[in-house]
Amino acid sequence: MARFLHTADWQIGRHSLLSSGRMSTGRFTEDEAALLAEARFTAIERIAAVGMAEKVDAVLVAGDLFDAQTVSDKTIRRAFQAMASYIGLWLVIPGNHDAALSESVWTRAQRLGAIPQNVQLLLQPEPVLFADKGFAVLPAPLTQRQTYHDLTQWFESDSAQTPPHLLRIGLAHGSVEGQLPESADSSNPISAERAHTAKLDYLALGDWHGTKQINSRTWYSGTPEQDRFKDNGAGNVLIVDIEKPGAEPQVSVHSIGQHQWVKREYTLAVDADLDHLRTELGQIADKSVIALTIRGQVSLHNHQQLMQILGDAEARHRSFQCDFSQLRLQPTADDIAALHADGYVGEVIEELRQRQEQADGETAHEALAILADLLRQQNAEASA
Amino acid sequence: MKLTRLTVNQIRQFRQPLTISDLTDGINLFVGPNESGKSTLVRAIRAAFFERYTSNSAEDLRPWGDSSAAPEIELEFEWQQQKWKLNKRFLNKKRCDLQINQQHLSGAEAEDKLAELLGFEFSSRGGSKPEHWGIPGLLWVEQGSIQDIQKSVEHAGQHLKTALSNTLGEVTSTAGDALIEQVENERAILLTKTGKPTGQYQKILLDCEQYQIQLKDLDEKIQRYRSDVDRLGQLQRQRQEHDSQKPWLEYCQKAEEAKNALATVQDMQAKQQSDLQLLQNCQNNLNLCLEQLRDFRQGEEKLAQRAQDKTKAAKALEDCKELSAQITQRLQQAQADYQKAKDALSRARLIDRRQNLQREHDQLNAQLNAQLDNLQKAQQLQNELQALRAKLQAQTLDEKLLAKLKQLHNELTEIQIRQQSLATRLEYDLEAGKSITISGQEPIQGKGERLLLEATDLFIPGIGKLRLLPGGTDIRELARKQERLRLDYTNLLQTLKVQNLEQAENRLAENKHLAQQITHLQAQLQMLAPKGVDELNVSVQLIKQRVASLQTELEKFPAEGGEQSDFANADLKTCEAHLEAKDAELKTAERAHQQHQSDLLVLQNAYEAANLEWQKQNNELQSPERQARERDALDRLSNLNAEEAELHKRIDERKQQIEAANPEALQKEIERLSKSADALEKEALQREGEITRLKIHLESIGAEGAEEKRASIQQELERLQRHRDEMQNRAAALDLLLNLLKQKRQELTRQLQAPLQKHLNHYLKLLFPGATLTVDENLRPQILTREQEHGDVISLSYGAREQIGLLSRLAYADLLREASRPTLIILDDALVHCDGERLEQMKRILFDAVERHQILLFSCHPERWRGLGVVGRGVV
Repeated sequence: MARFLHTADWQIGRHSLLSSGRMSTGRFTEDEAALLAEARFTAIERIAAVGMAEKVDAVLVAGDLFDAQTVSDKTIRRAFQAMASYIGLWLVIPGNHDAALSESVWTRAQRLGAIPQNVQLLLQPEPVLFADKGFAVLPAPLTQRQTYHDLTQWFESDSAQTPPHLLRIGLAHGSVEGQLPESADSSNPISAERAHTAKLDYLALGDWHGTKQINSRTWYSGTPEQDRFKDNGAGNVLIVDIEKPGAEPQVSVHSIGQHQWVKREYTLAVDADLDHLRTELGQIADKSVIALTIRGQVSLHNHQQLMQILGDAEARHRSFQCDFSQLRLQPTADDIAALHADGYVGEVIEELRQRQEQADGETAHEALAILADLLRQQNAEASA
Repeated sequence: MKLTRLTVNQIRQFRQPLTISDLTDGINLFVGPNESGKSTLVRAIRAAFFERYTSNSAEDLRPWGDSSAAPEIELEFEWQQQKWKLNKRFLNKKRCDLQINQQHLSGAEAEDKLAELLGFEFSSRGGSKPEHWGIPGLLWVEQGSIQDIQKSVEHAGQHLKTALSNTLGEVTSTAGDALIEQVENERAILLTKTGKPTGQYQKILLDCEQYQIQLKDLDEKIQRYRSDVDRLGQLQRQRQEHDSQKPWLEYCQKAEEAKNALATVQDMQAKQQSDLQLLQNCQNNLNLCLEQLRDFRQGEEKLAQRAQDKTKAAKALEDCKELSAQITQRLQQAQADYQKAKDALSRARLIDRRQNLQREHDQLNAQLNAQLDNLQKAQQLQNELQALRAKLQAQTLDEKLLAKLKQLHNELTEIQIRQQSLATRLEYDLEAGKSITISGQEPIQGKGERLLLEATDLFIPGIGKLRLLPGGTDIRELARKQERLRLDYTNLLQTLKVQNLEQAENRLAENKHLAQQITHLQAQLQMLAPKGVDELNVSVQLIKQRVASLQTELEKFPAEGGEQSDFANADLKTCEAHLEAKDAELKTAERAHQQHQSDLLVLQNAYEAANLEWQKQNNELQSPERQARERDALDRLSNLNAEEAELHKRIDERKQQIEAANPEALQKEIERLSKSADALEKEALQREGEITRLKIHLESIGAEGAEEKRASIQQELERLQRHRDEMQNRAAALDLLLNLLKQKRQELTRQLQAPLQKHLNHYLKLLFPGATLTVDENLRPQILTREQEHGDVISLSYGAREQIGLLSRLAYADLLREASRPTLIILDDALVHCDGERLEQMKRILFDAVERHQILLFSCHPERWRGLGVVGRGVV
């Protein structure tokens, strides 16, 4: 009986890009970026805490602990310090972002003396036996940024023989062939059948940022803290229980992520759409990172409402981006009456409304919004 | 609006009330000299409307020195069927009352009512200024300001627009202009007037650029770092390979093998060298030996040659000897022939000699006879010659003396003539038989005459003596001279041995003849005996002797035809030629003989020499010592040949071995292998160095955290770019909004301008037919276009501006009238700068305007305003 915590792709040192569309509004500040970066360190602490709480035999980190080779010394130190609360065994392999090159983030960490005793870097493709704990680890560390051959191939070789009473745990980083969307990198390929062909009890994979099961013995844990909108199903670690060699592993997903990355699109046409939007936004967990695209058309009055809804949502979340480039304002007679837009100003509103449908519609949209704001202000001042 | 009545009291010079009533609808022309009160009236009207009754700025209305005065103005006018009456007092009795039909207003209320009606404002502090005057400021023109239309329109602007917009309905926006200002303000936050980013927007653009540059730098740095890392990995792999495979060892080993092989070859090369030396020696000896043998063979050949030579010489000698008899015989024959020819020649010569002597003898004999003849003749001639010479000698005559004689004779003759002329002539004629005697002379008879030169005694027989004495001294003188000359003459005759001159002359002629005869004879003699007769005689004697000697000689020769021979008849020349031929033959024969003798001798010698040579050679060849030496040489030759063949064989074999071993290639191979080993070592050393360098470099670079920094900058850049995009969008939107607002507003303005334009054109065509005048958005006249001219109104001449100013004001008035606004026009001394023609045009314009407006026109030049159809009135 052995219990592992499987994680990967911490991507320490990454600074997330939050943009989701061409024209966005929202007060994205430097603080947000810092907080999101900070969240990545917090994730390590949470992993360590889960490791302690779940009393795992080892934490398996399947590559890309660091996002780049040249992160600052401080970042290296902080990453390892964040691991401190789990005092058990950490088994780490380098991934494509932190490959064990002749000079790498690992050689630097070693020189800095930042790596704690209980953290083992597995840099050689050879079995590492933990007889006392009843398992052997077969690592497939990346020593190049990219390879086009399967680094787990050696798991099947004679040199990968392990005592039969030990569990065989594979640790690798790359793309499982034929299982991931085509957009995924075709480099660092890994055979989907490797666990079976190499008689592994479990193959812990990294590289894919969403939690994904390939087969009963092969999993991607995903990144513990989401950092892109496209990483669906991220923010988890896996707790893997294996009864004995050959037994099917029991895998449970633990969510530890702080921020959801939500990307939504809404098309506004009728008044009810606004209510629908309000409801849906209300359901998103707080502190999320949100990217909205709002299309369709809206009256000046409803536009004001929309801005209010979005403003409320923005306050609740870590980051809030909104793309209005395809939203059109449709001033109604009521709008114009309400704005007291008489004389040539009324003509300008009509002109802008029409121009929204032309080549530079976004500008006209923006101009119309500004004009409506200014008129509202004027009216407010006048009535005050 | 029609002003009907005006009263002023206690205002400047009008200390007493002055009322002007019966004002008409059209033009009211007030004329009068300066200071007659025209301007005071204008000022009073303005004060009534513009100045607050409470204002102290009406101080200028006070009559001079009257501190208690209360300047008062009362105006009555009609407007829209209502009668308005304004009464205003300033200073001491401040009051304002306005009666509109039954309605009464007073104080500020009344004033404000008027301001609203006419469209002007009050000054909040101090006196009313042009900016407060509004529409009246445009229509009521003060002295000398009619041309300054721009400011007036500006001040009237808002009132004008308000007035006009009513006529255009609801096109204008209540909030439009304020909105434009707001948009402009908003835009100004992002963009400059010319549309360049400014403020925060500009900063963000710069920041973006800055970050992009940083990003680029970092990218380069990271790229360098990565390639350095790759390089390091490559170097480390190489080192590992190098350390495990030790490739240099192979090179070292191979180099050693090659060195050994080379040593073997070098040994062989040394042996080859010594064998080559041996071969050289052997060949030298062989050559010497062959040379010796060649010498021996030559000795034998020489003997044979000499034997041959000897036989040849013997044969030649024999041949020569055979010829000897023949040659000797030929010589003897030639000698005999020669002797014969010589004899024949001797004979021929004798004959020839005698013939010659005979011929000479005959010739000389003939010569002798001729000479003898000549001699005889010559002797005869000589004798004659001697005789002649002797004769000539005898009667020789001196020619000089003769000449003198002749002279004397002539002188005597002359004297005689003179005597006769001077002398006493004695002519006589004597009777026959009778005579007389003259002293000392024979008796004279007959007839005749005589000249008597001296005392002459005449004897007449029978009678006695008569003495005649010639007269004169001359006669005597002449006689004396005649005496002297006669003496000389006689002497000379004696000398010459002649009796008289004639005889002398004859003798001379005779002498000459003789001389000629002598000369002739001498020439003859010369011919016969050029050298004299004696010489001729000697020559004859000599010839005589010669002939005798020749005779003697001839007698010695034998007689002709005595001896017979082959050449008896041959002449001398033939004999000589024959002898010569024989002589040549003889000489040839002699030479042949001589040559033969010499040949014989030579051949004899040659034979003897050849024989001797042969003998010598033969002796040598036959010597046993020489034969021994030849045998010895032959033996040696055979030995040397064998040795050479042996050496050749050895050298060739070894040469092939050396070539097969190829020492140059070996040398190069050693070099290559050693260098390769060295290079590997060096490479390893360099690699170590580079690894160390790269490691240190990468360690320091890695610590900079470039990629993390890049990610952070990338993030910041993205944030900035988003912000920038927002601003860009907002700027574009504000730009668009502003442009649209302005554009729409301008369209509106154009709508407002249109009616004004219409009225302007109405008047303009009366002043400048075909011209156009545009107005700007504030309705100010702007550009005047006449024919080709095109210019701003402000740049026109003063006069033209005045005219444009007036007609613009009239156009505004028309515009206001259409908007149902009151229009009263007051012109104080307008158009003073107009020329006559323009003034006429302006009068037409004014006349046109009065159909619609009441005009108060004040002027100090009544004559200028005739033709307006009104009578000017004085103020007072």
